[in-house]
Amino acid sequence: MFNRTKNLQLSTIKQIELRASRYPDCVSLAQGVPSFDTPNCIKRRVEKALKRGVVAKYSLSPGLPELRELIEVELAKENMFYDWQNEIIITAGTIEGITATILAITEPGDEIIIPEPTYTSYREVIALAGCKSIFVPLNEEKGWSFELGSYEKAITPKTKAIFYCNPNNPTGTLYAKKQLLGLARLAEKYNLFLISDEVYKDFIYGPGRGFFSLAEIPELRKRLIRIYGFSKAYAMTGWRIGYLHSDESIVGEILKVHDCLVTCAPVISQYAAMGALEMGESDIKKFNLIYEQRRELICSRLDRLKHIFSYVKPESSYYVFPKIKINNPDSWKFALDLLDNIQVAIVPGIAFGPNGEGHVRMSFGRNEKDITEAFNRMEGYFKKIK
Amino acid sequence: MKLLFKTILKHYLKYITKFVLFIRRPTIIVVAGSTNKPFVRDEIKRVLEAAGKSVRANPKNFNTEIGLPLAVLNLPSGYNSYKNWLPIIFKTWAKILSKNFPEFFILMLGTSDPGDIKYLLKIVKPKIAVITDITQRYLEGFSDLDELVGEYEYLVKKLPSQGLLVLNNENNRIKNLSKLTKIKTVTFGVNNKSDFSVAQITKTSQGQLATIEHGDKKKEYEINRFGLHHIYAFMIGLIIKQYVSQEEFQDSK
Repeated sequence: MFNRTKNLQLSTIKQIELRASRYPDCVSLAQGVPSFDTPNCIKRRVEKALKRGVVAKYSLSPGLPELRELIEVELAKENMFYDWQNEIIITAGTIEGITATILAITEPGDEIIIPEPTYTSYREVIALAGCKSIFVPLNEEKGWSFELGSYEKAITPKTKAIFYCNPNNPTGTLYAKKQLLGLARLAEKYNLFLISDEVYKDFIYGPGRGFFSLAEIPELRKRLIRIYGFSKAYAMTGWRIGYLHSDESIVGEILKVHDCLVTCAPVISQYAAMGALEMGESDIKKFNLIYEQRRELICSRLDRLKHIFSYVKPESSYYVFPKIKINNPDSWKFALDLLDNIQVAIVPGIAFGPNGEGHVRMSFGRNEKDITEAFNRMEGYFKKIK
Repeated sequence: MKLLFKTILKHYLKYITKFVLFIRRPTIIVVAGSTNKPFVRDEIKRVLEAAGKSVRANPKNFNTEIGLPLAVLNLPSGYNSYKNWLPIIFKTWAKILSKNFPEFFILMLGTSDPGDIKYLLKIVKPKIAVITDITQRYLEGFSDLDELVGEYEYLVKKLPSQGLLVLNNENNRIKNLSKLTKIKTVTFGVNNKSDFSVAQITKTSQGQLATIEHGDKKKEYEINRFGLHHIYAFMIGLIIKQYVSQEEFQDSK
């Protein structure tokens, strides 16, 4: 019984959230949720669709044609060229896109290489597909960057794909173009798929920093599946809407799984996504500026706790992943101590892979008040236990 | 209050735009249809700019009662904010005197309710109309497909006698529109009964190689985009380019 699910775990982030919900006075820096509400322009677009009575029926399985057409136009602005009719699928958030992709491209027993620490749910999806996650550590000393040699060593005849999150959750690393091209060369050499989760690509900090995606390289289109979601960029986590794109030869197979899983993405959310693409640009810019200010705030508060934490300043996303500066740190115990004693919720680093142990993830998706209160409590607590 | 403001704004933009277009008299090309409008708009713009013409096209989804005038006047939208609309309304006056006015406009026309096209054609008088496709998309505002097709029939009937109609020959509903007018009509499609047809498509890593037939001529083109709709857009670009150069030749005689 339950052979497929018995080894799956509810993600650590969700376990922390459940536990935190028992404390009414809890301040949470755990959840990767923007503090903002969905922008009004998006809500208005949805109201209009509701009034016109167009949201009650299924859409075509790959999604509303007008949304896919809009996505093709948006992708072209970022130098990515995909046919909306055959190469783009609207998904119920990125995790559904990831699940459909992995189920489509793998067979049970295959291995998928994951740079870690990275997002917790990847390994559960890989396990669900009967495959094995092969973790390859990122180098913290070099700003959580790839060590390409380690990837080549991890490749076996069973390896099917390299699956990375760029910008990376939880480290906030923006992978350099040169490093990504190195991964692409490995994928070519060993005939592997590349899965690129780019859900945080809209939040990049510092002047002149651009974003590069391997999906910009046409020669990789039969190898790369790029996945994006509206949750983070447009403060739409509850709408569950995203998309994926790749060459039609791959997308045709993923579509079969997508159809089995959800038939189509929620139509009301597809209209919300249209509103986001048509009118949400200024909101993303506004969010980006606010997150940058919050990044400065959280880093300045971490600086005041130098005896407890060291950290690599995140270049993107809205997470910081500090190292706990105590002997043999157990990140799970450390996070529970903070939660039970001062009601501050953070995510233990072990949740993001073995190389995440000894760290914790803090989200600056939360507002300034929460960040300040959480750090005030932590400063008081660490003073007491000194 | 909001509805009243929208109604006043709509009429204000309509009359200012009509006035500007009456004074400046640019050549207006409209792109209508259920799909593929942005790609066709971009291709026509590319072709005309490459021929040295000054061109303006509607940005994003500026193809409705308020969006279209803004596109002509080259102004942004204030969306749902009175505060944002005020400076835009003041700027409309400067557009009357603006020196930077293009020779060509490429305007997508949107229709989601009966009468939309009729309203938009009270603002702009196109010389050339392209109809990309008619599908069930946006049908919810109409009683049936016939009523939706009626929007395009109205557009066809409003074209001037020296104008040009460009039609998708793969769609029977669109093909039949040619029967409503005596003006020059050029068709495109996959089948070889079209004036411009695709004889062969080869997908490459960089895009597509399309062999296009026109009359007794056959030529292979490299299109660095994926999907049949880009080949259609490319053919429409060829049609417009040919028509504009013929017009210039006639004018120079």
